[in-house]
Amino acid sequence: MSWVQAILLARGLVRGWGGVCGAALMGAPFSQVLPQAPQGLHCSAAAHKSKWSLVPRPPESRRRPVKALALHEELFRQAPGGERDKASFVRTVQNFEQHNVHKRGHVDFIYLALRKMREYGVERDLAIYNRLLDVFPKEVFRPRNVIQRIFIHYPRQQECGIAVLEQMENHGVIPNKETEFLLIQIFGRKSYPMLKYLRMKLWLPRFKNINPFPVPQELPQDPVDLAKLGLRHMEPDLSARVTIYQMPLPRDSLGAADPTQPHIVGIQSPDQQAALAHHNPARPVFVEGPFSLWLRNKCVYYHILRADLLPPEEREVEEIPEEWNLYYPMQLDLDYARSGWDDYEFDIDEVEEGPIFAMCMTGAHDQTTLAKWIQGLQETNPALAQIPVVFRLAGSTGELLTSSSGQEEPPPPPPEGQEEDDNVQRQQQSHS
Amino acid sequence: MNGVGLFLRMAVGARALRSLVAFPASRRPLRTSPRSRAFAKELFLGKIETKEVFPFPEVSQEELNEINQFVGPVEKFFTEEVDSRKIDQEGKIPEETLEKLKSLGLFGMQVPEEYGGLGLSNTMYARLGEIIGLDASIAVTLAAHQAIGLKGIILAGSEEQKAKYLPRLASGEHIAAFCLTEPASGSDAASIRTRATPSADGKHFVLSGSKVWITNGGLANIFTVFAKTEVVDSDGSVKDKITAFIVERDFGGVTNGKPEDKLGIRGSNTCEVHFENTRVPIENVLGEVGGGFKVAMNILNSGRFSMGSAVAGMLKKLIEMTAEYACTRRQFNKNLSEFGLIQEKFALMAQKAYVMESMAYLTAGMLDRPGFPDCSIEAAMVKVFSSEGAWQCVSEALQILGGSGYMRDYPYERMLRDSRILLIFEGTNEILRMYIALTGLQHAGRILTERIRELKRGRVITVMEAVSQRIRDSLGRTVDLGLTGNLGVVHPSLKDSANKLEENVYSFGQTVEMLLLRFGKTIVEEQLVMKRVANILINLYGMTAVLSRASRSIRTGLQNHDHEVLLANMFCVEAYFQNLFSLAQLDKYAPENLDEQIKKVSQQILEKRAYVCAHPLDRTS
Repeated sequence: MSWVQAILLARGLVRGWGGVCGAALMGAPFSQVLPQAPQGLHCSAAAHKSKWSLVPRPPESRRRPVKALALHEELFRQAPGGERDKASFVRTVQNFEQHNVHKRGHVDFIYLALRKMREYGVERDLAIYNRLLDVFPKEVFRPRNVIQRIFIHYPRQQECGIAVLEQMENHGVIPNKETEFLLIQIFGRKSYPMLKYLRMKLWLPRFKNINPFPVPQELPQDPVDLAKLGLRHMEPDLSARVTIYQMPLPRDSLGAADPTQPHIVGIQSPDQQAALAHHNPARPVFVEGPFSLWLRNKCVYYHILRADLLPPEEREVEEIPEEWNLYYPMQLDLDYARSGWDDYEFDIDEVEEGPIFAMCMTGAHDQTTLAKWIQGLQETNPALAQIPVVFRLAGSTGELLTSSSGQEEPPPPPPEGQEEDDNVQRQQQSHS
Repeated sequence: MNGVGLFLRMAVGARALRSLVAFPASRRPLRTSPRSRAFAKELFLGKIETKEVFPFPEVSQEELNEINQFVGPVEKFFTEEVDSRKIDQEGKIPEETLEKLKSLGLFGMQVPEEYGGLGLSNTMYARLGEIIGLDASIAVTLAAHQAIGLKGIILAGSEEQKAKYLPRLASGEHIAAFCLTEPASGSDAASIRTRATPSADGKHFVLSGSKVWITNGGLANIFTVFAKTEVVDSDGSVKDKITAFIVERDFGGVTNGKPEDKLGIRGSNTCEVHFENTRVPIENVLGEVGGGFKVAMNILNSGRFSMGSAVAGMLKKLIEMTAEYACTRRQFNKNLSEFGLIQEKFALMAQKAYVMESMAYLTAGMLDRPGFPDCSIEAAMVKVFSSEGAWQCVSEALQILGGSGYMRDYPYERMLRDSRILLIFEGTNEILRMYIALTGLQHAGRILTERIRELKRGRVITVMEAVSQRIRDSLGRTVDLGLTGNLGVVHPSLKDSANKLEENVYSFGQTVEMLLLRFGKTIVEEQLVMKRVANILINLYGMTAVLSRASRSIRTGLQNHDHEVLLANMFCVEAYFQNLFSLAQLDKYAPENLDEQIKKVSQQILEKRAYVCAHPLDRTS
């Protein structure tokens, strides 16, 4: 029985390599092969304990030799001068290599280094990842015969290699030829890190530009610049003008808890301006918000100035003036038009919404600040002076956080200068 | 010949002409039957109004002699004394050239002779246009003066206005300009900002505003100005309406900017004109108060046909010059003229010149008929065809010259620059295509209303009729609209071409009906569809014109009429296939005829306001 299984496994693995999952024969997903695999020569118990997938977790600290951890942590702590940058990271890796000529504990070191990368701000640096892979001893983990190739050879090391690639993937770093060369040197052509590498090579470039509204890699630190970026990001009209109605006081920009003068940045397109000018002064306009906008790992909040949709009976039918175009008629004097059965558009149920006249991002989300924004808007939109403005701000006390589950209620305004780091959160969750 | 002699002869010629012009007015009604329907509009219904276009309009022998007598000195003047290169370089027409043009009477060609003009018919005007077209700057200056500048007074002016202004305008003592375009208003009359308000005493209008790109703006003394005035409507409401005014420079408050630096027609004067509280007497309102829109439209529509003959004249000259070069330049022991690709260019130029000449004189002949024939579609078609032909032919001519064509030493680059404006002014070709298509569709739509309603409602007999007609057509029915055959108006040697025209006209009528059925009045939104409709119509008109003209040439035995037959057949075959292609596109729905893709591409580009494709050297990894 075990022989039969082994042969099946082998075939499955070969197929899996060809890009086809071995599941066809096994009747189970490819990843399930692993746990059934006989304990290889160098199989680590830690890796297979908790997870089915190939993607490893860093071995839990309690299972690791305490001594080794202390040593590596020490290496990172030694970073001189408190400066944490690429150079010091590379120096640390070099230190490790010098101290450990036999590269003892390199897997642990790499896991630790992967965790430390964010602190050094090198998590998007391909060269660093290649440098980390370079820590692996070469040629040692390459399978040398068929049996080794069938069963995972040095699984702990392979998992570690995959972990490096996985972190690259999470940060959208696309591996290059050097990565491939290193992986071949370390694990050989037919290894799981190589498989991961090939898949990344296939998909990451295709996904790299999939966002039609790209956000810059490095977000500006200044809240005003960030607000400008966020407003531009939301506004589809390129003729829209960004106006800074109020600059933050220096105290505010330092992140003081009680800003006396928060920044107010607004955007308005000429079309919106025209729409506001034609707005019926009898109908109020609303300032609503705050709504959240995520820009990479930062969350900013914005407010809109909008009006309700006009009831159908009040809508003005746009008339074509009689004497408009000097050269050709703007309409035909015929009493038939395209009829229903000639309509080859898809039937789309469109929900009409009221017009939005302007957007803004402010440092504070209270009514006084927003009233200043409205005042600023009145300079370019004189009609606004006649229109009643209603402030419909979500409570700033934070009740709404729990109040609504299904509805899309705006989140409470965050404290000043709040930055939420989803990655950090995610990592925390995964570690817990 | 000395200058004095020339003037004397001119004066004689002009006088003789005047006597002739008065004459035909009484004679012409005998020659043509009462006017039926406009030719181009009937094409939309799949019919050819043979009477309108066959036989090709003729002038009598005496008239012809007089024209030729008149044309001679003008031609001599243009070939010998006008230095186009200098005009282009200095950006100004020399004073003495202008003086001579005035003494030749060229400033009042279409002004009736009782007001001191030459009172030329449209045909004769077209003939003179051929020569004036040899220098684009002069042609534009003259056209701005009389085709649009003073046309308003002729078309809509009162007797007093005519008597007051026309004589001095006709003699060239005063130059006219047409002030319509504003910074914010091209063809959009609603956004005209210039305003005329009645003064307190009610005797004046106070005019304020600026106009841009006014040809002759710096030279003119008399301006036709369009401005908004408040008009009380019949229902008592006050509305802003456009009114046309005759404004003299002496009224005060009229200033002009410095001449614009232009790509071509650099000798013509184009500048901004500002009116600042100019007091215009109430009797200087052209037409009615509030009726300026119609005046503007009539002026614009009336002036277009002459471009055809002017361009044709230029092309004929161009053919002479390039042929000279092609027959003398030797490469590989052969003259350039022996290479097929060079020969092709000459054929193209000759064909274009022939077609636009035919179209222009056919239209002029139609316009010269008694009554007030509405040939605005035809005139627009002539303008579109001739301007595009000019651009294409000049570019090809420059190609024949190769590198020399690009040099400033040769006139070709100047002609290329000059001809570019033709596609733009007097209504851009895009706008005129809309005009051509919409006017025709409006006509066809009204007549077909009943039938389309029945088809839409699904009345059995009408639907069956339509279906059986389609089936018969698909089984290969030969269309006979009566152009050929025993009593046909087209000469048998052009029979094939005439059949092609008939076939095209028939299927065009079918397609128009289908389009109206499909789009109805919403066709206004379908500009790509209308562009094709206009293109087909222009081709059809061109085919008709050459068939008519070539038939006449054969029958009257004109010189080299076999050459004309060649050109006519060539054009007809080409136009036929172009039409078939356009008709096939019109028969298809948006995704198949690429309209949808075109719209999508442009939408994405305009959303980003940039070219959206990644650079070919870009990498993702």
